[in-house]
Amino acid sequence: MSSYVLQRTLQMLVVIFGVVTVTFFAVRLVPGDPARLMEPPGTSEEVLKQTRERLGTDKPLSEQYWSFLKGLPQGDLGTSFRGSQPVADRVLTGLPNTFALGLVSMFFTTVLSFGIGILAALKPNSLFDRISLIFVAIAQSTPSFWLGVILVLVFSIRLRWLPAIDMTSWKSFVLPSLTLTISLMPLLIRAVRQSFMETMGEGFVRAARARGLSEERIVGVHVMKVAAIPLITLVGLQAGYVLGGAVVIESIFNWPGIGNMALLSIQQRDFPMVQGTVLAIAVVFTFINFLVDLTYNALDPRIKF
Amino acid sequence: MADRIELPVSAAVAVKRPTRRFAGLGSLWHSFDGKPVARAGLFVFLAIVLAAIFAPVIAPHDPLKQSLGNNFKPPVWNAGSWEYPLGADPLGRDLLSRLIYGAQNSLLVSAGAVIFGGVLGFLIGIISGYFGGWTDTVLMRIGDVQLAFPFVLFAIAILAVSTERTVGRLILVLGISSWIIYARVVRSRVLSERQKDYAWAARALGASRWRVLFRYIVPNVWQPVPLIGMLNLGFFVIVESLLSFLAMGLSPPAPSWGAMLTDGRQYMLIAPWMAIFPGVAIILTVLSINLVADGLAERFDPKLATGHFLRVPLTKKVTLGDWKNDQVILQVRNLTTVFETRAATIRAVTDVSFDLKKGDMFAIVGESGSGKSTLGLSIIQLLDSPGRVLDGEVLFGERDLTRVSNKEMGTIRGAKVGMIFQDPSASLNPVLTVGQQMTETIRRHRSLPPAETMEAARKALATVHIADPDRVLRAYPFQLSGGMAQRVMIALAMSSNPDLLILDEPTSALDVTTQAQLLDELDALRAERQTSMIFITHDIALLGDFADVIMVMYAGRVCEVGPRDRMIAAPLHPYTKALLGAIERRGTGGGRLTSIPGDPPDPTSVAPGCPFADRCPHVMASCRETMPPLVTLEPSHRVACHLVGMEVVA
Repeated sequence: MSSYVLQRTLQMLVVIFGVVTVTFFAVRLVPGDPARLMEPPGTSEEVLKQTRERLGTDKPLSEQYWSFLKGLPQGDLGTSFRGSQPVADRVLTGLPNTFALGLVSMFFTTVLSFGIGILAALKPNSLFDRISLIFVAIAQSTPSFWLGVILVLVFSIRLRWLPAIDMTSWKSFVLPSLTLTISLMPLLIRAVRQSFMETMGEGFVRAARARGLSEERIVGVHVMKVAAIPLITLVGLQAGYVLGGAVVIESIFNWPGIGNMALLSIQQRDFPMVQGTVLAIAVVFTFINFLVDLTYNALDPRIKF
Repeated sequence: MADRIELPVSAAVAVKRPTRRFAGLGSLWHSFDGKPVARAGLFVFLAIVLAAIFAPVIAPHDPLKQSLGNNFKPPVWNAGSWEYPLGADPLGRDLLSRLIYGAQNSLLVSAGAVIFGGVLGFLIGIISGYFGGWTDTVLMRIGDVQLAFPFVLFAIAILAVSTERTVGRLILVLGISSWIIYARVVRSRVLSERQKDYAWAARALGASRWRVLFRYIVPNVWQPVPLIGMLNLGFFVIVESLLSFLAMGLSPPAPSWGAMLTDGRQYMLIAPWMAIFPGVAIILTVLSINLVADGLAERFDPKLATGHFLRVPLTKKVTLGDWKNDQVILQVRNLTTVFETRAATIRAVTDVSFDLKKGDMFAIVGESGSGKSTLGLSIIQLLDSPGRVLDGEVLFGERDLTRVSNKEMGTIRGAKVGMIFQDPSASLNPVLTVGQQMTETIRRHRSLPPAETMEAARKALATVHIADPDRVLRAYPFQLSGGMAQRVMIALAMSSNPDLLILDEPTSALDVTTQAQLLDELDALRAERQTSMIFITHDIALLGDFADVIMVMYAGRVCEVGPRDRMIAAPLHPYTKALLGAIERRGTGGGRLTSIPGDPPDPTSVAPGCPFADRCPHVMASCRETMPPLVTLEPSHRVACHLVGMEVVA
């Protein structure tokens, strides 16, 4: 068990290191000068040079990379090009906001998808099943960013019920989490329905019926325990995606989370912030995948470390 | 073991279709026969593709032409004009034309990325799978790292810093993000093809590595690629518009759905329709692509729609038969069970009647597809849809099991009637311990305090000669041998002391020694508890000194039923004789191993006459015209054969 954890931790470090390194060079190798973006157009070459010196972008790439790596163990992610806040501080203020939105969305996504998927699987081809499949087909084809815009149009602009942007009260959670939930549900409903239908056809379900067990017990315990195991992977992937910052949704609703920060810093070519946010996203994403594997192994007695 | 007696399962025959190859649009269209939804998707998708290709012809305006007098012109139904059917944007550009040209860009980028990613992934998959070694390791690890991170963010990062975003660059970035999905699937298929006999044979005959690869392996591994590509295409349409929505798609002013949405968002207050149209275009496109993909997926994986448990009690009233003989525990009368699919109705059990005496071991013998298992499931009322009892009675304990309510059946099943299935390890829930499954069953039928429930579980295991019940109770099913698992199943079924136990090939999955032991134990249990048993098997040889009554079934009908000794010593039906003859030949070791030439009839056919006629050595003209009735020769020995009728008359 502990050797498994150790091995996985090393693996995670390798992946995170790879992601961070690729990001570091990717943003720098593509043409484009952050100094030029920061200063107003028409700034003299002299001033630009000073700015580059201040940002450190005038140094050779290898030197920049080395000083970035040196800072990592101490949690020093550098200083944002915009303002003088340390990147680590800004990332740490963004993460809780992202987690809050992600957890609310994942809660509703999981509860609703399991509910709908199981009910549909219990009565395949029933009216409920058909309606839920139509919902799945349409929701799966709907781009989340468009949905977010339309929800704002209807509920904030027309009806004036809910705030359109920023995080101020619980009401601010409604539209972004609704958008995320609707865009995450289709895949999960499909998977839940599929997994439960397959499991319902297993021999042990028929055998449980032959022993006289109640349908509630059969579905709630026998089928649930088996059908849920493969679904954990998908829930974990989705959780990794939203807890690591649903970039676009955060951006549409101007959510003060890590995904929004990542996008803004990419647009502004704020290299230290790009690295910091991408690092945070990679850490959350891989750590959740690791948790998923641990849960998976704990739930299925057939798998041993 | 059973030689040729194992024959194709009846249900599979009805859905067997000629395999078609992927040969263009026409065959794709035809392969969606009976799938109106997939066909509608294909239709809409083709319409969008055509609109994109012929955009210059269809679009009423140049998508880039500005006309400042017409800025924010509303759509035609909202006090607009037909000149600009969907209205115009802030620069007076025609929205409809921009939508149509947007389709062009969206599909160009997405399809290009699918082709690029698909070809790249396919090649890498082949190389990785076929050559293995360090090449494989390196390529797959790169893929792992890529999958371990949401790649769209990388795409955004790279495109954000690109000064010029052309179609080619977008295709490159999106394509690279997707190769691993294809590579993994193709690689695993190559790995399994490489191990197959024909590949070994080709190598052994001296074919070169490359020849084996292209001649034998490639043709067998590419099939899932179009399906993955189709799924990917829908995803890319969304990603392309997402990128342009974030101002990271094609460089402006190229018309793009995402960029149109950005405009719409900006002018949401004064021109809300501008935000709606591009979204509807994206949804229609992606929806149609996904529907085609679903249709393709079904074609690649034509699994039978898994049945689900559905019991509807018969409602037609009958007067309960003569229930006089209290020695009889079960009377089956004229039972008919059908499987109704869209393609055909299969009669799995036709007009079966028999009596089961208390404490008897009643054996049902027949080939696969003879309806014997369906008969067992019909008695305990556990048929999966589309199977259902069409007609008849199952009289048990003065009740007709085909007509009792689901609630009442719930109190009978497991408590009074139990059933055991062929594969014991599939009959136990893999993630619950044996103890959990035993105690839940015992609690269901008796209310005992927890400690006594455990004790009852131990006792139940002891009755099936499990020496170490505590260890077995703690074990998960995968830790048990097949024989042990089947003992657990028997203990589970017997723990409620049922009056009737149906055993469907309970020993077929076990080795011969375990089989013999288990049969002895079952026989002892029956004698001790006076439990009546129905023993379903394809192997008449098992029944020599075991069954009290033997019933032979063929094609869903009873051929012959009678006391064991008569059936074995003096069988009358040619099919019974053939089954017994098969064991004799097998026993002496001489002769052919195949026993009965020919196949059972197509279960969907409704030809008149005896179903065995085609394989019967004594077939006569009348056999093909009328179904012989089941004649009672002596009390309890009945045969359905024209031959027998003649002998009796003669």
